[in-house]
Amino acid sequence: MKRRTLLTGATATLAAAPLARPHAQKPVTIRWWYHFDDPKATPDELVAAFEKENPGIKVEAENIPWGGGGDYDNRLYTSIIANNGPDTAMVKFNNLARLIEMDALTPLDKWIDAWPGKSDITTDLWRLHTAPDGKRYYMPLQYVVLYLYVRLDLLAKQNLKVPTNFDEFLVAAKALTGGEQWGFGMRGGSGGHDSWMPFAFGTGAKPMKGGFVSPAALAQNRFFIDLHREHKVTPPSAPTDAFLQIVNNLKAGRVAMTVHHISTANTMVETFGDSITAVPVPRGPNGTGFATFGDGSTCVFSASKNPEAAWKWISWLSTGPNNVLYNKAAGQLTVTTSGAANWALHPKRFVDATVQSLPIAGVLPNLPQTADFTRVVWPQNTQKALLGQIQPDEMMQAFEKLFYG
Amino acid sequence: MRPIKRLLGTELPVVLILGFALLPWIWMMLSSIRPDAELTHSPIALWPQQLTLIHHIELLKRTSFAQNLRDSLIVACGAVTLGLTLALPAAYAFSRFRFRGRNWLRTQFLVINMFPVVMLILPLFVLMRDFGLLDTYFALIAGHATFTLPFAIWLLTSYVDGIPQELDQAAMIDGATRMQAMLLVVLPLAMPGVVAVGIYLFITSWNEYLFALMMTGRNVRTVTVALQLFIGENQIQWGLLMAGGTLVALPATILFLFAQRRLVGGLTGGAVKG
Amino acid sequence: MLAPALAAAAILVLLPVLDTLWLSLHDVILYRPRSRPFIGLANYTRALTDPVFWESLGNSLVWVICAVSLQFTLGFATALLLNRSFAWRGIARALVVVPWALPSVIIGLIWTWMLDFNLGVLNNIGVMLGILPHSVPWLAQSSTAMGGVILAVVWQGFPFFAVTLLAGLQAIPGELYEAASIDGAGAWGKFRHITLPGLAGVIATALLLRMIWVANSLDLILVMTGGGPGTATQTLPLHAFLTAWSGGNYGQGSALAVLLTLLLLGVVVTYVWRSRAE
Repeated sequence: MKRRTLLTGATATLAAAPLARPHAQKPVTIRWWYHFDDPKATPDELVAAFEKENPGIKVEAENIPWGGGGDYDNRLYTSIIANNGPDTAMVKFNNLARLIEMDALTPLDKWIDAWPGKSDITTDLWRLHTAPDGKRYYMPLQYVVLYLYVRLDLLAKQNLKVPTNFDEFLVAAKALTGGEQWGFGMRGGSGGHDSWMPFAFGTGAKPMKGGFVSPAALAQNRFFIDLHREHKVTPPSAPTDAFLQIVNNLKAGRVAMTVHHISTANTMVETFGDSITAVPVPRGPNGTGFATFGDGSTCVFSASKNPEAAWKWISWLSTGPNNVLYNKAAGQLTVTTSGAANWALHPKRFVDATVQSLPIAGVLPNLPQTADFTRVVWPQNTQKALLGQIQPDEMMQAFEKLFYG
Repeated sequence: MRPIKRLLGTELPVVLILGFALLPWIWMMLSSIRPDAELTHSPIALWPQQLTLIHHIELLKRTSFAQNLRDSLIVACGAVTLGLTLALPAAYAFSRFRFRGRNWLRTQFLVINMFPVVMLILPLFVLMRDFGLLDTYFALIAGHATFTLPFAIWLLTSYVDGIPQELDQAAMIDGATRMQAMLLVVLPLAMPGVVAVGIYLFITSWNEYLFALMMTGRNVRTVTVALQLFIGENQIQWGLLMAGGTLVALPATILFLFAQRRLVGGLTGGAVKG
Repeated sequence: MLAPALAAAAILVLLPVLDTLWLSLHDVILYRPRSRPFIGLANYTRALTDPVFWESLGNSLVWVICAVSLQFTLGFATALLLNRSFAWRGIARALVVVPWALPSVIIGLIWTWMLDFNLGVLNNIGVMLGILPHSVPWLAQSSTAMGGVILAVVWQGFPFFAVTLLAGLQAIPGELYEAASIDGAGAWGKFRHITLPGLAGVIATALLLRMIWVANSLDLILVMTGGGPGTATQTLPLHAFLTAWSGGNYGQGSALAVLLTLLLLGVVVTYVWRSRAE
């Protein structure tokens, strides 16, 4: 009885509005997963603004714990495998190859090419966001490039300039080491590959097949390990120091230089004012250099039933003012040129150091092994080398073997 | 007991043990009421130079922590109720009945619990999805209760074993049913054990993270997951984390403060000393 | 009476366990969901011939034996003390559960921070009191990292023993002690001949349960050292977890989990067999 009434009603509506498309009447809901560093920040405002502009789309934003990357990824893989995944999510390069291999991603090329905001994102960023198969699956959302923090006041005491190449870096690190202070806050613990790559690939070696065991990479890696073993310009805790430790040690004045990125710039300025600055990471003798690019991207999953709506949301997020608003919450840099022009969230010198590093910015190989490299293989082998349990060259051979067999 | 002997022989060691138990918590509490800048001062001052409640205020006002505490409380109480309801009859049966395969069955309960939970998450997720239980209280309550069930059954069995069988046999001769004997005779006597197991169930559920991470989402979010949200990719909200960590230990402690009176139940407290 | 418990356990635990057992016989790569060929025991032979397996097993043994025995000793002493009567006993009993009532991630972070080389309060106090000549990077040295994580797990776990054994102490009839006193037994004699035998069942169960729990737990290690430095604190469940999820080799990880279960099963079967013999 009731069903018939409903059906009649539906038929009546359809008959009354023959021109209305059924899709336009039923709002679609898309699920979006994100992770923010600051639990006090929420994307609610952004979602509300988007829904107002796009009345047909509802965004269910879900905050997933990052958990060193592992928790977020495990949750993501589990739900994709169980066919219960979100329509779109924040993702990182180290998972790109795996997600492609799972056929979990929708290529975005046709949308990107028709998207008016495309030219507001630099070619450097689009280059980095291109997958090995030449397609683009990830949408740039936020970024950082790793740079070198330097305590200017401590350098001035030693009459030293800000180091620009590896020789000067070593001289400075040695001069700044003494007593309860170390020249370089090395990160041997989790996530440390980011601040190791500028050393290993700083003199021209490339993170690609054969690159890990090329003479240049081997020599540079020995240089890196020797900072700890030979020159002792790093705290004894360096093998397991992770980001919390290197940042706190810098803030506490226990180390004079460290490699990190703009997300910590404001707290450094709070602590040291003008006595701290950031510069691009040291370069090799021929001007070569490697600045690790840290991405924050979005994607559309192939299992999504509403891929167009999902694309609308992520492209909206990467558009000029929206992206600025988004990055205020995320604490990183906007990917749009228009937004960067009036960037006021971080002091200019840190933005400059980041932007100047973009031309030499690079990432790890996009392979299914990359996630394992960053989480297990890099820390294990590097820590062993730092503790003298294996030779630096063995560590590089292990990496080459992991990636290229 | 003479006061001096009690002071040196009992109270002083208890103070030392409580010192070990509480100092890390106190250190956490102290760091939750001082400004962040003091925490990265080298060497770190033992006593806060400046006091602030900003972290606690932010925690309760600007994050969903209060709501998460409520969710955790619901889940943990549910897990205790479900766990005890299932475990008590099972423990009674294991203790009182001599049936074929009793030891084998009891061992099976442990075997399934020996499997590392991290490897069960994927199949369990699929199972919960099939039942349509993802992101509900029940998914977590059922999940937690079944994982703690083997422990609860084993522990309860060993407590029930300590209660003489003659007591429930006497009750049944007087006309009580099995169920009555269990509930009216054995349960009151086993109360210390029930309290201990209840606390075990509560705390295990309260602290569980992996299940809560995987099975919940927008509707249900426990404190363990909420605390993880303070540990970002490039920032750790140390003040919030310490404030949350300080608070999170309190419910179980307060609960046990009241429940511990029941530890003096059973044979000795009631029958002899009373 | 057993039926509800059995049904719940069967659906929610046994099925997933069997599923994992089945997966361990296949080449299951997390990110290749469509191809999972049957490979028999290859995952097992690969695990057993991998030196990392044996290293992790060794670490697991140290971890389990040290953690459980220290937790037990401290917990038992606490239970005996808290069973005596003194004015503030109730509050002392409640406060002792504080470490146990904290999530592992908080415990891991707070101990990592207290043990920190640069800003750790323990190094600070140690140097101040003259116990340490200088700061020690506890978690960054192979020789001390395991000690550091064991310290944290002992702190976390001893209240479990304190509470369960305290409850067990209540089941010992007071008349026995009174009779022993009349017979002229000393404190030690009462402890050996009344307390220990009266508590034996609960002690054995609590030890067994805790051993299984500690052998399977990995969250504290994951937070504090991630298994490092190098592989100094990598235990078997952590190895399985990292292989399956980080390495994406789910079949291999499942096989490692099954091996761990079989090892624990050996211990439990010995226990049940012995307790039946008694």
